[in-house]
Amino acid sequence: MTHSQKSTRRHSRLIASAALASASLMVLSACGSGDASSADSDEPIPIGIIADRSGATGDVGAPYNDGMLAYIEQLNAAGGIEGREIEAHSNDYAYEIPQAEELYRRYVNDGVVAIMGWGTGDTEALRTRVANDELPFMSGSFSEELTVPEESPYNFLVAPTYSDQMRVALNWIAQDAGGETGVAVLHNDSPFGTSPVADGEAWVEEQGLDIDYVSHAMPAGTTNFAGVLSQVDSAGAEYIVVQNVASPAAQLARDLAAQGGEQKIICLNWCGNELFITSAGDAAEGHLMVQPIAPISAEKPGHEAIAAYLEEQGQDSESAGVSYVQGWYTMHVMAEGIRHTLEAGEDLTGAAIRESLETMGAVDTGEVIGGGPVEFSPESHRGSVASNVYEVQDGRMVEVEAGATP
Amino acid sequence: MPAVETGRHHTSYRSEQRLWHTRPQIVRMALLAVAAAVLPFVLDNYWLAIANTALIAAIGAIGLNILVGYTGQISLGQGGFLAVGAFTTAILTDRAGVPAPLSILAAVVLTAAVGVIVGLPALRLKGLYLAIATLASQMVIIFIVRRWGFLTEGQGFVDVSRLEVFGFRIERTTFEQQWYVILLVITILVALTATNLFRTSVGRSFMAVRDQDIAASAMGVNLTRTKLTAFALSNAYVGLAGALLAHYTEIISWEKFTIDVSITYLAMIIVGGMGSVAGAVYGAVFITLLPVVVRMLADVLGGVAPVLSRQLPAFEHAAFGLVIIVFLIFEPRGLNRIWQRIKDYFGFWPFRY
Repeated sequence: MTHSQKSTRRHSRLIASAALASASLMVLSACGSGDASSADSDEPIPIGIIADRSGATGDVGAPYNDGMLAYIEQLNAAGGIEGREIEAHSNDYAYEIPQAEELYRRYVNDGVVAIMGWGTGDTEALRTRVANDELPFMSGSFSEELTVPEESPYNFLVAPTYSDQMRVALNWIAQDAGGETGVAVLHNDSPFGTSPVADGEAWVEEQGLDIDYVSHAMPAGTTNFAGVLSQVDSAGAEYIVVQNVASPAAQLARDLAAQGGEQKIICLNWCGNELFITSAGDAAEGHLMVQPIAPISAEKPGHEAIAAYLEEQGQDSESAGVSYVQGWYTMHVMAEGIRHTLEAGEDLTGAAIRESLETMGAVDTGEVIGGGPVEFSPESHRGSVASNVYEVQDGRMVEVEAGATP
Repeated sequence: MPAVETGRHHTSYRSEQRLWHTRPQIVRMALLAVAAAVLPFVLDNYWLAIANTALIAAIGAIGLNILVGYTGQISLGQGGFLAVGAFTTAILTDRAGVPAPLSILAAVVLTAAVGVIVGLPALRLKGLYLAIATLASQMVIIFIVRRWGFLTEGQGFVDVSRLEVFGFRIERTTFEQQWYVILLVITILVALTATNLFRTSVGRSFMAVRDQDIAASAMGVNLTRTKLTAFALSNAYVGLAGALLAHYTEIISWEKFTIDVSITYLAMIIVGGMGSVAGAVYGAVFITLLPVVVRMLADVLGGVAPVLSRQLPAFEHAAFGLVIIVFLIFEPRGLNRIWQRIKDYFGFWPFRY
């Protein structure tokens, strides 16, 4: 046997043993880690928060995140849940899905019992993962696809879906116009934006509304919406439903005013807030909002806790926008689920929290979300169906219809 | 080839054809194999997930390097090609019930076919113009994925069920570990086939086209066939990466395949080393780890400079840009070249050369 043959044989043996080693891993894979999930533990309760503070939707994402963190701070100061504090892991993902996935994996590894997400993109991207990892997930996304427990068993939506908000908007438009009219839906160019578009069209047909329905994506990063607005004009639309965040919606309102357009803008959840009004200035006057969350200026009973907290912090309670309130109460609903689980003496696992949320009955939000209670059931994770309609008058959100359901 | 390998004389064809010639090479490979085998036992799930992401990126980067690094045809369409692979396998498995290995194979074939179509402009375009043509293909593919409602049944995303191969189903508790083994084996196969590709006449004709296409054609290299083959082969690997990504993440939407992804992959091969299989792997690992390391740094330094953690995504982008610039200026041939220089340094020690 020559030297080279010998070394070839040695070499192939090496490869064979490496292959064997890697194959044996298949069988031997390690698993699991310890946790603080037992019922009588007094460890802090870890919760993962995926927030957009600096990304495309940071204008509303940052106050939403602030609202959540404020709620947790307030809760912990008051002794936490059953004597256990909430330990919030909150990180900015800048609305980039891979970042959200990375954060999610880290949270899972840190042993969190629930995840608070943000956008439709990351909520959908993590939907199957949270189901597999059995982690209840609440986010700022109210995409109707997420409400079916068979498909999204761990996603909970505290507010009416975007589609429900769209239906309320269309009903209101049909009533306001009193006859044949045209509606243009302008939406963010993402799953978040397109979520209610098809459902709205189906609703028009189903209800026999006399509405000519068109939809256009709002180009991202544009400084001028004149192009989209001319499409709206040529379609003969008298109403514009906006499914986008506040800043681009305000830009749209300003461009509309500059062109002397007569259309009425109807903002859904994420642009129906004070930020839209302050950014658009006078151009916001007379436009409408379909918003399930009551603004702090509405002075509902549920706002008292927020006002008290902000006062304690030396801040003006008026500084809290709708998104802040929404963050606060979304966190509240999750915290109530955790409280119920602990009170029942169960181990604090994602599956137990899910069961609590489904069976514990209504959570009182002091008339803030959808005008009242948020309730889930094993058949539906649609926490609420009612939205309020507001009109911008003198720079304020004035309620024109409360508790509107589709 | 590192300079230390010069002066070796082969006495048989078999010895010449071996992938690794020197004892240090074999020792390094053995160490690498041991490290790869130990990894799932020492890493927790979070780090293992990052390792899995890096392995998928390595497959995609090797594919891109075949086209850009070895054939000299620049491509900005990587994200789109990944999307073709991912959506093909997802739709076939999720809706048509095709077994995962078959649907992955179909994804590979279809992505390769798309590569041939997209490669057609490359017959007439070079350099910057080709970059724009491939950018167009990226935009077209993403447009299709977003606007053709039937692809995602109007949902905007496609669910992929848990990977099942011949009755073997990935388990929840050891999800990352099992995926690691699968991805590791596939990555090794991909790296071996790609390395061997460049020892064949096809692979060598790729490099001839890269170095001087007119000279190559004068030598009898069929430019048309070579360029299209390069696009097809490269895209086959990229399609594989896309398909694996779909099965690994279990849900896909167009947002995972934007132009940013194309640029990230280009960064991987720039940082790792153009025209090198090992370089593509180094680059994939480096670029996957970069945001993680920046985030960890921000956590550590967050107490001193809170602005770091507050503006973290901005710093991640800045670090990404900085790394590319630094590599382009100081070592355009990337990590692979740096590694070779290190080996040479010790090989010649105590002499300089």
